Parts: sequence; C-alpha cells; structure tokens
Amino acid sequence: MTQAQPIVVQRWNVLSIAAVTSLVALLVALAFGPTYLGPNLTDRITTLFIYVILAAMWNALAGYAGLVSVGQQAFFGLGAYAAIRLSNAGINVYLALALAPLIVGAASFPLSALALRLRGGEFAIGMWVFAELAHLSVNLDGLVQGETGTSLIALSAFAPDVRRACNYWIALALMTALVGLVFVLLRSRTGAAIQAIRDNEEAAASVGVRVFATKRLIFVLAAAGCAAAGSLTLSTLISFQPKTYFSVQWTAYMIFMTLVGGLGTFEGPIIGAVIFFVIETIFGASGVWYLVGLGASALLFSLFLPRGIWGTLTDRFGIHLMPVGYRLRFGSGEPR
Amino acid sequence: MPNTSSRREFVKRASAVAGGAALVGAPAFWETAGAAEAIKVGFISPLTGPLGSFGESDPYVLSLVRKALAKGLNVGGTTYSVTILDRDSQSDPARAGQLAKELINSQGIDFMLVTSTPEVVNPVSDACEAAGVPCLSTVMPWEAWYFGRGAKPGAPSPFKWTYHFSFGVKNFFDCYVSQWHELSTNKKVGVLYPNDADGNAIREHLIPDLQKAGFTVVDPGGYEDGTTDYSAQIAKYKSENCQIFNTFPIPPDFATFWRQAAQQGYTKMVKIAQIAKTGLFPDTMEALGSLAYNLASACYWHRNFPYPSSLTGISSRELADGYERTTGKQWNQQIGATMSLFDAGFQALKNSGAPKTKAAVAKALSRLKTTTAVGVVDFTSGPFPNVSPASIIGSQWVKAAPGSKHPLDLVITEHANDAKVPIGAKLRPFS
Repeated sequence: MTQAQPIVVQRWNVLSIAAVTSLVALLVALAFGPTYLGPNLTDRITTLFIYVILAAMWNALAGYAGLVSVGQQAFFGLGAYAAIRLSNAGINVYLALALAPLIVGAASFPLSALALRLRGGEFAIGMWVFAELAHLSVNLDGLVQGETGTSLIALSAFAPDVRRACNYWIALALMTALVGLVFVLLRSRTGAAIQAIRDNEEAAASVGVRVFATKRLIFVLAAAGCAAAGSLTLSTLISFQPKTYFSVQWTAYMIFMTLVGGLGTFEGPIIGAVIFFVIETIFGASGVWYLVGLGASALLFSLFLPRGIWGTLTDRFGIHLMPVGYRLRFGSGEPR
Repeated sequence: MPNTSSRREFVKRASAVAGGAALVGAPAFWETAGAAEAIKVGFISPLTGPLGSFGESDPYVLSLVRKALAKGLNVGGTTYSVTILDRDSQSDPARAGQLAKELINSQGIDFMLVTSTPEVVNPVSDACEAAGVPCLSTVMPWEAWYFGRGAKPGAPSPFKWTYHFSFGVKNFFDCYVSQWHELSTNKKVGVLYPNDADGNAIREHLIPDLQKAGFTVVDPGGYEDGTTDYSAQIAKYKSENCQIFNTFPIPPDFATFWRQAAQQGYTKMVKIAQIAKTGLFPDTMEALGSLAYNLASACYWHRNFPYPSSLTGISSRELADGYERTTGKQWNQQIGATMSLFDAGFQALKNSGAPKTKAAVAKALSRLKTTTAVGVVDFTSGPFPNVSPASIIGSQWVKAAPGSKHPLDLVITEHANDAKVPIGAKLRPFS
C-alpha cells in the first residue's frame, strides 16, 4: 500500500467514446443531407464544410507546426485555378475538381524547401509574397484574362439538383478525409512529434524529433487542404475571378475561426468554423458592421481568451472529446 | 429606405436561424407559397464597398420602379403582382454569387436583374446560368461578360439563360474617333493602359483600330494597378508630343498619374485627355480639383438622353432632376442605366406571355428588341446571341456655370453611337 500506485496510460474514456460515436452518427446523417435539406440549406452546409476544411488546415499549420501563414489564399486560389485549367484541357469537370488539390499539394512540396527556411514573421510575410506572386502569375494566363477571370461553365451541363448534391457530397467527403487525416496524424508517431514541436520546437529537436520533415508534412497537407477548399468554392460559385480567390480575406477567415475556436486544439477550429458560419448567416447582410464585428471579436478573443473557446474549456475542465492525446491516470484500482 | 429594409432582412434572418430545425421542412413550403399570379424578381447591385458609387442611386431607381409596379404587371390580360428582392453585393464577388443562389433557392425568384462591374455581374450570371434562371444584366464591357465567362470566339454561345446589354470595345472606338476629330491635333495618342483585364482587352482590340483610323499610338506598355511613379511614361508622351491622351485606370491610379503629369509639364501639351473607367461619377472627379476641368469622358447615360424609361414613363431629364431633388446629390449616369435594366427586364417579362415560366422568359430575352432609358436594347442582331451592345457617348467634364450647386457639369460632345442623343457642346481643348 505504501508503494506508488500503478499508472495507466489512457487514450479513450467514456466521454471520448461517446463523442466519436455521435460524430460518426452525425457524419452518417449528413451524408444523406441532400435528401432532406432544402436546396438552400444544402448549398449553405456545403459552405460550412469548406470553412471547416480551411479552419482545420490553418490550425494544423499554425496551431501544431507553429507556422503562422498569412498567405494560405495562395493555395486556395491555385486549387481553383488548377481545376479551371484541368477542366479546360478536357478532363471531366468533377475529376478536375478532385485532382486540383493533389496537384497543388505536390507543387507545394518544392516550395516548402524554400518557405520552411523562413522563421516566424519572415515565414508569414514570405507566404503572403508567394500568394501575391501566384496571383500575378495566374493573371498572366490567357485563359484567365487578367482580373476578368473565367468560369467553370462545364458545370452548367449538370442539372442544378445533381450539381448541388454532388458539390455537397464531395465537400463532405473531402472535409471528412482531411480532418480525418489530421486526426490520424495526431494519433500517430508523427502526431507526438507534431505536438512536441507545438509545445517547444527547440526542445523537440533536442530529443530527436525530425522538425523539418514533420513541418513539411503539415505544410503540404495544409496546402492541399486549402486547395481543396478553393476547388470546392469554385464548384459552388462557378465564376473564377483571381482577385476573389487570391484575396487575403480567406486567410483572415481561417485565422478568425481558429482563434475563436481554439488554436492548437483538434476540436477548436471545427467549433470556430461553425461559429463563423452562424455569424455570417445572421449578420452577413449588415455589410461593413459585420466586418467590424468580426475584427473586434477576433481582437477580444486574442486579448482575453487567447486559447479560444475550446482551449479555455479544456484548460478549465480537462474535457477532450477527440482521443488525439494520452492521459496519465492512476491505476485501475482507484479511479480518481 | 435601405436601412429599414436591411433591418427587416436582419430580423427575418435572425428568426429564421432561431427557427432552427423548423427550417428543414421549409423549402417545400417556400415553393408552394408563391401564388400563380405573383412574380418574384431578384436585383443585385453593389451598394457598399469599393464599388459603392455604382449603387448609390439604385435605391432611388428602385423606389420609382416599385411605384410603377404597385398595381402589378399586366401580361396578356393577367395582372401579376411583382416583388423585387434587392440585395447588396457589398462589392464582393463571392457574396454576389451566394446572394444569387439564395434568391434562387430559397426565394424562388422567377427572374434576375443584375448591374455594375464584372465583380457583381459575372458571379450572378454564372449562378443563374447554372440554376436555369433567366438573368438580364448591364454596365460592364460585354467582352468581359461573354469571353470572361468562358465563351470561346468562333464557338456557339454556351449560355442559355443569361443575357447582357452594354458597351464594348467597338463602341469605345466609334466614340473616340468621333470625339478626337472635333479638335485639330497632331493625331498622336499617348495611351496608358494597365496590365489588367480592361487594359489588356483595350490594348489588343482598340490600338490596331485606332492605327487604321490614322492615329499614331504611343504605348509605353502595361503598368500594374497601384503604380506610384509614372515619370518614364510621362517623359515618353512629352518627347513624342502626344496631344491626345487616353487611359483606362482605376480611380486612385489616375489621380496619381494626372498630378505627376501636371507637375512634370505634360498636361500643358495635352489637347484631349480622354479617360475611361475613372471619371464616371461626379464625386470622383471633384476629388481632382481644378485638374478635372475639361477631361473628356464617355458616358452610358446622360440626363439629356431623349429616351424616357419605358417601364415608368419618366423622361431622362426628370429622372436626373428627381434624384437631385430627393437626395440633394448631383445626378450620375448609373441612374439611367439601372432604370434601363428594369425597362428591358420587364418588357421581356411582358413579351414572354408567361412570366412564371423560365424558358418562356429566356426565349423572350433572346428576341427582345425594345427602347429603354439608355436607348435601344436588341438581342436579335448582336455580335453573339446573348449580347446586345449599347451605346457610349462622348462627353466632357466642364466647370459648372456660376451659381450652380455642383462644381462640375458633364456635357455631351459627340454622338457617333446614337445620333438621337443631342450634342450639348463642342469639345473644349484641355489646355
């Protein structure tokens, strides 16, 4: 009895089992969305899926790999552009939309060699410069015709209902795949490395974590994910005007969602995306004041709730819905 | 007006969200809610944001249109009540597209009207084309609307539901040649075209035509929007003695360029300064101070246009005067353009015989030939089936007569595009 109690490493608990089960149930329910949601809700929920992707990707980048980028719109825009190019080359339009993120992800690999050499603020600004460069280069393409842009008119060949449902399902599938990938990554050996880098990069390197390779993995994932969001947005908007897709507002939205939800938590960005989506739906029509409100709340959050909603909740109550970490618990004989 | 409507909108949205799950069953309700005799028309324009000056007069025009339609629209003996659902794109193309989809999906509109710049018109047109909702638009170069949405020269028009009437490069060419022959010059034209959509389209199509018409064009090459130093271009115009100057800049760039040109002594040798894209609205011109006097411009509507609005019966002059009376602001050319959109749109609804049948309305659009506040709109003889080029009239900003309420006045100086438009004054040399 005087001996130290045995310590158990625990991943799952009742709460996380319940949370994962209800999440799976929710995803199954969402999969049948187009059959019971009206056309407008189907469209809107598709947008929500895109927001979740954006938030999760920026969070993976900034929250886990410590790479604060203000140039993620580069990949968002390139994703849409790649889809336009592929479709114009005669590839089936939905195949083009699905291939675009893979191509952008592959293209971001060589870029990472340069970008990841920059640190902190340099990286943030470097990415913004890259986004501007990508924007200007796309403008030079004769197909895009500068800021005039072009449209993915191949999509008009599908009946509105079919297209709406397809967009919805592809967005749902990509969201599940990308967020699922982050989940699997975080649970894997790499996940431990990622979280170690998040907590302290130098310390992680000192215990043998391959910092550069891990960061590159996240960088490429985030690039492909943002490209997926861009190609999905194109599938719902059809119009491609470079100024819209390469606008820094997309990164601003990502930052807002992640900050409000909770930077560096798995659940936070998803919650942030839902909050942003609801705010946009209710207040979007009020124009300038809506943007002022968004900016002000992001400011208030970073001042008073720097860990965001979910980060604060976990700090205070120790709730973890998704089993991405480990917890130490005293032996089974004496649950605390 | 916009305040009350947006507040109502807000309450509606807030309660819709509060309704939560109840919404799931709503779509079916929406679809059956519209009685057979009610037409819903969507109208999207930029009221706020960087393009806000385009939408500034839209609430005024809307109030006139609503008054004219208060007793409904008579189509083939049946009177339909008309609801116009107006939305502000906030100058954001993504929002414009989203608003269009919302109007189509949850309001179940029968017809869409949209105006002012590619940032508003293209995404809305695309949403309508994709959803199979008839759509009529105006006020952006038709080339950027047609080719900018993926149509290919030589191929049949890919658009079935969307129609557009507005000026194109050819209209600019006719207008400029006529305008520039009014004064005797050395026919040397210094051009400053940005490296953007409009700039490149104009460079590619307008310059060769001007050369054929006997002008010598001095083009120092494209510049990026936002350039702050134009010394090289100015030196070139000066050394070539370009007495005519033509540009298609965004407003802040023009202000920068024109001040530098004045400092470096180029404006003194300019006889005709022909500016496009910038200088549509009196307030942007006033910001230039005395440098705005005698700048030549081209307008798509003017208070002296001879055409009344076919929908409301209001003359062009009364449209402008009414706006000045109601708002206290100087009239601008968008008033007539927005009115012409309603003129043409409702004429198409009448011609269709079945305004609730989308295919009938689209067919009526393809055969539309009518006279609106801006002049003739004719889809039967356009360069492409979905396009009707509209006129653009040479004009000039002059110092207003003493005692006038506003510092500048826009006078018509030529009418090559439409001989029915009365010329108000002879073009004055810039300096």
